[in-house]
Amino acid sequence: MVNLYPKREFKVPIFAECINPEIFEDKTLSEIAELEVWEGNKRKKLGEFFKIEEVKAETEEPTITLYGDLSRIRRIGTKMRRGIIKIQGDVGMHLGEEMEGGKIVVRGNVDSWAGSMMKGGIIEIHGNASHYLGAPYRGSTVGMRGGRIIVHGNAGNEVGAYMRKGIIKVYGNVGQFVGLRMRKGTIFVAGDAEGRMGACMKGGKIIVCGHVDSILPSFTIENVKGKVKVEADEIAQGPFYLFLGDLTENGMGKLYVSKEKNSHLGFYEKYL
Amino acid sequence: MEIVKAVTCPVCGSLCDDIEVVMENGKIVDVRNACAAGAAKFLNYNCEHRILKPLIRKNGEFVEVSLDEAIRKAAEILANASYPILYGWSSTSCEAVRVGLELAEEIGGVIDNTSTVCHGPSILSIQDVGIPSCTLGQIRHRADLVVYWGSNPWSAHPRHIERYTAFSEGRFQKSTWRRYLAKIRALIAKKKLERAFKRIFFKREISVPPHLRYEPPPFLERKERKLIVIDVRRTKSAEIADYFIKVEPGKDYELLQALRMLIRDQEIETDKVAGVPVEYLEEVADVMVNCDFGILFFGVGLTMSGAKMRNIDAAICLTRDLNMRTKFVIMPMRGHFNVTGANVVSTWQTGYPFAVDFSLGYPRYNPGETSVVDILLRGESDASLIIASDPASSFPKKAVEHLAKTPLIVIDPHMNVTAQIADVVIPSAFVGIEAEGTAYRMDHVPLPLKKIVEPPEGILPDEEIVRRILVEVRRLKGIGGS
Repeated sequence: MVNLYPKREFKVPIFAECINPEIFEDKTLSEIAELEVWEGNKRKKLGEFFKIEEVKAETEEPTITLYGDLSRIRRIGTKMRRGIIKIQGDVGMHLGEEMEGGKIVVRGNVDSWAGSMMKGGIIEIHGNASHYLGAPYRGSTVGMRGGRIIVHGNAGNEVGAYMRKGIIKVYGNVGQFVGLRMRKGTIFVAGDAEGRMGACMKGGKIIVCGHVDSILPSFTIENVKGKVKVEADEIAQGPFYLFLGDLTENGMGKLYVSKEKNSHLGFYEKYL
Repeated sequence: MEIVKAVTCPVCGSLCDDIEVVMENGKIVDVRNACAAGAAKFLNYNCEHRILKPLIRKNGEFVEVSLDEAIRKAAEILANASYPILYGWSSTSCEAVRVGLELAEEIGGVIDNTSTVCHGPSILSIQDVGIPSCTLGQIRHRADLVVYWGSNPWSAHPRHIERYTAFSEGRFQKSTWRRYLAKIRALIAKKKLERAFKRIFFKREISVPPHLRYEPPPFLERKERKLIVIDVRRTKSAEIADYFIKVEPGKDYELLQALRMLIRDQEIETDKVAGVPVEYLEEVADVMVNCDFGILFFGVGLTMSGAKMRNIDAAICLTRDLNMRTKFVIMPMRGHFNVTGANVVSTWQTGYPFAVDFSLGYPRYNPGETSVVDILLRGESDASLIIASDPASSFPKKAVEHLAKTPLIVIDPHMNVTAQIADVVIPSAFVGIEAEGTAYRMDHVPLPLKKIVEPPEGILPDEEIVRRILVEVRRLKGIGGS
């Protein structure tokens, strides 16, 4: 188990793809300190930025714990397949990009593109997540393909865009365009959604337990449901309005919106 | 008196190339065919705000220095930076952008053009869903339905309507200026009648003013060129339109999706979308489906409000859906005269149209992460080069504060707001007036920019200045050059 402490405040973005339990495994501390890191356009070594310490492991899994403000450090845990990364503080963009397994736990806020294009594993964020949570990079149409993202705070725009599989749970509020163009998978929002949920979705399930301003005109009301399954052992208590859409894409995605918190959507009931 | 013909106007994205400049003793005395904005640039470019000597800030004051010293200082700043930004590029020639990209690669910086704050979202959506477009000449001759969405060409691209759309005389489509004149006359007559009526019988207004009337006029069904304007307020362009749709601010996405639903013959369950009754939208959808050749022009009103890039996403999907029933194309109304060129050159050189990050040695592109406004807002850059642009007057305050905190190099003909907070200021010649080059019109047609007059003594064009900085940077890094 390795602990990393930043030696100074970071100004310029730092690309640290090497912070990955698999890469750290079977390396001595001096070998870890030699790993390549980019500070802006300058090639540096990990040891120049972090004080690296080895502590006695609590688990079998290779574990990395990072402390301090890491909001300028990008691509931590990219393509990780196993092991645990614990972050005590804020962290920068592209956390756990294309990750396939293992676990990342953040006790702070996370910048945009966390869990981008992930295929497996778990990301748990105890603070807020920013935009494009679990969404692919620009121009790609393949988003999250598996795994779980759990956010205990709020999330920004386009959560789970182009999602193909997996589950995203946000216990706070979310911005616009939750589940944009998603095909499959589940997005659960315990708080409010800013609007345009499920725009151009073709399939999958979005559950919003809080307030929404309006439903896109391209959705049609289908039913009112008492309870909705979130995952194996979790059920969201309703009642929920069930909308189907997005009809402009011939989609059959399910959008559940709390009936209790959205009395202004009552006029849809006349079409039931 | 000498007349220079076929001059390309270096102001807006319409890039009018029929300007005639009247010269006397090597000076411009008159401009023909240009709009007010174009004429103002040709006649007043040499105003009192012109910088004539390179400046370097020493102890908080600007000091006049030689060009070589200013270039050496600029190169030093850029060569030592870890994360420099190079921003602007939209009001200069493609040739200068090409050298700029070379410089960005050499110093490992981020190069971004002004599309980051105007049509960047359009580009992102085009990459997501594609774009069915054409040249402006096609529109002039064939388009029988012109839609301006979130743009006000009458004020921002003054000759656009006259040269390419409603008021242009095409081979297959006639100009509608007579109808516009008739409409104006009818409006004036109606106003006079109403006023007279009011004076005689009532003490109050008797009819709803025209801008509150929503229903589509019956002549929208007629088989002739039609102009529809969709905007949040009744602009000058909306006045001349055959039909104006007033959309609730920030609700364009809903309106676009509703139109897509109607074009696909699907039911909308609400009565109003974005403040517009669905029955009126049905008529507009009918007009769109029944046209022979339609064009949707969209402006910054669509790219920078509400759903931003997803608005354009929906607009392009609407065009795609319409193409299942008729011929429809879509085009962004680009602002600066060569912003399209900056995108084209950047794509040709790096693969990406804007916000290209060379810091890892290869081009990387992720607007939001590598776009200059976001970098400045997060305070990540440690040096900046601003060329042919004035971000200090248009960027958010926090971004400008960071711009001022780090070493700042400005290359511009004028003492603009950004130049006033700069550390190194290098004056440049006006491309299209004092220097030649190439620019791309909004429909991606390259046009030559002419050199009409000589620049003031010692002032070089942007391309030459950037090339000298590049040579100096290479010398400092010990790579080739002299």
